[in-house]
Amino acid sequence: MKKILAILAIVLFAGTAMAQDNLDFERKQAIDSLALEKVRDLSKYIKIVGSKETAWSEANRVIDRAEELFMINAEIGVSSINSTNIKYYKVRPYFEHLMRLNYDRVEIEWYNIEYVSDLQRQPDGTYVGVITIFQTFRGYDKEGNLAYKDTTKKDITVYVKRKETQIGGRMIGFWDVLLGDMRVKETANK
Amino acid sequence: MRRKKIEVRSKKTEDGRQKTRFTVFLFLLLLLGVDAGSVVAQNIGNYRMDETHLYAMTKQMGQFIRRFNYEEDQFGNQINPKDPAYRNRKKRQQSLAILFDQETYGNQPDLQRFFIEDVTSDDSTFMTFLGGRWYSEVSATFQYKGKDVSLIMILGIEKEGLGSKWVLNNIYFSEFNKLFPKGEITEKEKHFLHPMSHELDFMNIYKIFKEPEIIEYYASKNFQPDYLTLFFYEIKRGNLIFKNVDSVKFHVFQIKDWYFEVSWFNRSGNNAGWLISNLIYLPEKDKKDLINFYEP
Repeated sequence: MKKILAILAIVLFAGTAMAQDNLDFERKQAIDSLALEKVRDLSKYIKIVGSKETAWSEANRVIDRAEELFMINAEIGVSSINSTNIKYYKVRPYFEHLMRLNYDRVEIEWYNIEYVSDLQRQPDGTYVGVITIFQTFRGYDKEGNLAYKDTTKKDITVYVKRKETQIGGRMIGFWDVLLGDMRVKETANK
Repeated sequence: MRRKKIEVRSKKTEDGRQKTRFTVFLFLLLLLGVDAGSVVAQNIGNYRMDETHLYAMTKQMGQFIRRFNYEEDQFGNQINPKDPAYRNRKKRQQSLAILFDQETYGNQPDLQRFFIEDVTSDDSTFMTFLGGRWYSEVSATFQYKGKDVSLIMILGIEKEGLGSKWVLNNIYFSEFNKLFPKGEITEKEKHFLHPMSHELDFMNIYKIFKEPEIIEYYASKNFQPDYLTLFFYEIKRGNLIFKNVDSVKFHVFQIKDWYFEVSWFNRSGNNAGWLISNLIYLPEKDKKDLINFYEP
């Protein structure tokens, strides 16, 4: 699916590599789809790494994939409902923390809702947006009792940059999407 | 204060109000197209999760702006500007009420109604990201001379290069304000360097340094302390050390003749997220002095 969308993105924008810095409604929709694919991959990876059934080696392989979704130096800022203090993680340590959670069984699920912001340009011309998703987490002890649960709102920065590549001697423009800092905030909804 | 008032109300009244609020919200959700009879739900593990409240929640400040202008549908999908529904006046009139904190404005429907009528009149006003006159108030904890202190940073959007960025506009820090108290005019008038001081090589200037706490009395009447510079100075000197952000809210002066504040409400139910927490009718001519604090 990701590959199809990437090809679609190239096809959509091919031939008009120059002067495409302004996003009209349709183009923005196409870029939103690309960004959502990355966010869905991230959701999938969180679920795999968080699962107690995932083998250690497999989890590490998935963490490698997750790291590739993010810009270098992206951070994940986590806070709970009882404290405004934000705990900062780099991408790998965040996943490793998730992997080490001390529950016998965990359930990580995502709500269907995905909210995509407008894209604003930063001074260097890169577009930046935020995608909001919601996750429920349930941790069970050895007896199978629910030991912890929360619902978190995850606001994920998305960077979109126009790039060019040469295919068959022809310059083709495409939109490169990378994830940036992610804010994880516990919500009052359990 | 308001909380105390709420507490003393009889349970019966409170129940009645909750029912009213629920009815108002049900109505608003129906207007938005979120059918409460068939709530948006999904199965999660062994649980069936109701997503209605997540759709109703104003999840980002950008969503607040889109909802304010009616640029997205009830599911948060952007409406194509070519679509007749885009910024549709009637739909906007119906949906604006969902952007109010109902705990405050559920009891003040007249002000809310007046605002909605005004912003959706023939001379409609819309809010835009790059439209200026909206500011972020970031309350943060710093360490100042070894103690935890609260400080407020005011940020605004500034256009630069190919896009824009948030910039620091001003600071509110009680320790800085204490340095520049508003003195009595009669007291201020007693302190000056007489106009012939120059002929004496300012031999009298030493006197102004004898009372450092009122040194600013010797400045021009146009002098205004620059708290942002003081802030930078203290940061650079290592006296102020950032710890964490406590809360964020927004102050919006962009809408003609109105000022409102948007705060984050992290609570269950359908009235949550970024909502109007304070609304004031403020004619344009009266805005200048207030904006001066947010953008000196």
